[in-house]
Amino acid sequence: MKIDLSNLTIATAHEHLVKGDFTSVELTQAYLEEIKKKDGKINAYREVFADALGQAKEADTKIAEAKKAGTPFGLLLGIPCAIKDNILIQGRIAGASSKILEDYRATYDATVIAKLRREGVIFIGRTNMDEFAMGGSTENSAYGPTRNPHDSERVAGGSSGGSAAAVAMDGALFSLGTDTGGSIRQPASFCGVVGLKPTYGAVSRYGAMAMGSSLDQIGPIGKTVADCEIVFNAIRGEDTALHGGRGDGTAITATTYPTTRVGSKGAGKKPVIGVPRHFLGGDGIDPAVMKALDAALESFKSKGYDIKEIQLPNISYALMVYYIVMPAEVSSNMARYDGVKYGMHVDGGDVVQDYLKTRRAGLGKEVVRRILLGTYVLSSGYYDAYYNRANAVRAMITNDFLKAFESVDLVATPTAPGPAFKVGEKASDPMSMYLEDIFTVTANITGMPAISVPCGSAEKDGKALPLGLQLTARHGDEATLFEAGQEFLNEI
Amino acid sequence: MITVKDLEHLATLARIELTEDDKESLVKEFDSILGYVDQLKKVDVSLDAAGRVGAVKNVMRSDTPNTVSAEDRERLLDEAPYREGDFIAVKKIIAQD
Repeated sequence: MKIDLSNLTIATAHEHLVKGDFTSVELTQAYLEEIKKKDGKINAYREVFADALGQAKEADTKIAEAKKAGTPFGLLLGIPCAIKDNILIQGRIAGASSKILEDYRATYDATVIAKLRREGVIFIGRTNMDEFAMGGSTENSAYGPTRNPHDSERVAGGSSGGSAAAVAMDGALFSLGTDTGGSIRQPASFCGVVGLKPTYGAVSRYGAMAMGSSLDQIGPIGKTVADCEIVFNAIRGEDTALHGGRGDGTAITATTYPTTRVGSKGAGKKPVIGVPRHFLGGDGIDPAVMKALDAALESFKSKGYDIKEIQLPNISYALMVYYIVMPAEVSSNMARYDGVKYGMHVDGGDVVQDYLKTRRAGLGKEVVRRILLGTYVLSSGYYDAYYNRANAVRAMITNDFLKAFESVDLVATPTAPGPAFKVGEKASDPMSMYLEDIFTVTANITGMPAISVPCGSAEKDGKALPLGLQLTARHGDEATLFEAGQEFLNEI
Repeated sequence: MITVKDLEHLATLARIELTEDDKESLVKEFDSILGYVDQLKKVDVSLDAAGRVGAVKNVMRSDTPNTVSAEDRERLLDEAPYREGDFIAVKKIIAQD
């Protein structure tokens, strides 16, 4: 049969594989053709894996075996996906879109990769990103920006821009990204797809390149909320047993957070949505964004959800906290790229000159900026004024959210202050780029799960550009995000 | 707020060589970024500085070496820019008088 990629979900693709309407090889071939047609312009992929069809062939064998035995097979078996370039797949280049890791070959599988491999997915390629996940537009890639499939004059968002664009252009059925301050949700919003930043600790980061270790999470990007839920369930969970006790030390368990309310089934009623109006609609917010948010809230109301105004007294400090804590953690995490253990090496006479020259040649502007900023806020004499104070305010913001969650189940805001901006528009002004993260950083600051779902559009230059609605839930309550997200998109 | 000299010191600490052009643009960018985050100084901090991200606890592991297969070791060593046998080669770090 002719494969209609644009309407395919993981569940429907699985159904077709079950019925034998097409094989995983045919499905993978269809995605490869789409990539060939579009990626010259979009630049979502850093590399399309030459063995993708070989992997699909193996999946088809497993499918045939399962059918012969009359046993059901997993939803992800034979499904093609794209992986952000900062997640390790053993034996393949993992470059974080940086010159310093241009030829670095991963020596082991990240936990999420090991888990997806067990499910039998097809790794179709690795995706472009802002260098080391630092940026909000994928313009900080050492290999050129990823362009938005809805308007190639515009950015795909970032830092997981390649992963979002790959899904939006039908270059993969789902993808993985990483999110330190919005890097899954903002590009999902810009590209009109769904992106989930799970609860801190819900998904192991073992094998993901660290950026801001108290903020980083891996999460799925897909066309539907249901697809993201399927992938989340496949990659979540502790992994200490997987690597001889060497997994992610921050992993949470099923009992870390109270599970009294898991979706409305636990509470017996529809979730209540809180809206921090006092924080929304400022100068930098596109009016179309507020219009889309109000329309979304009306839609929720019509579906029986209660909408409540809430106060988050310290939320306006979240972005400031982020731009202290994140660079501080970046500056220590980036110390490992020294030209000694792996990656680029530039010779400089003595060992210190080697470091200076290697890091100069290998790291891009934004990465250098953040390393220096982090070095500054952590340096003697400034530590208390910046880093300690930021951590204290971080705790205050988290408390504000915990208090709000005593009376609501979800917090709704826009995902980003506007639709995708033009390539180059914000590249010369780091501060204006940082403001892109205003609504997304709070979920990383508090460790709470948040999802971006497509929510209306903004008309720019005669093109309808997607917008996103962000829903945040209590720690460990992804279930309510999935439930509300699916109802909002009329998936259920 | 921040001087070129400060910046040079930071760059030395962070082991990154900067060009004159870098320094000029970074001084301006630091002013704008620090000017923004400095607003935090106005916050009445009522909590102690022990920031907590949810209920995450650190998972401790025993301080024992893991067995690494010869294959894994080979793969790791192969990524080093300079290697001598089973060692990663680096320049000497202590200078002679």
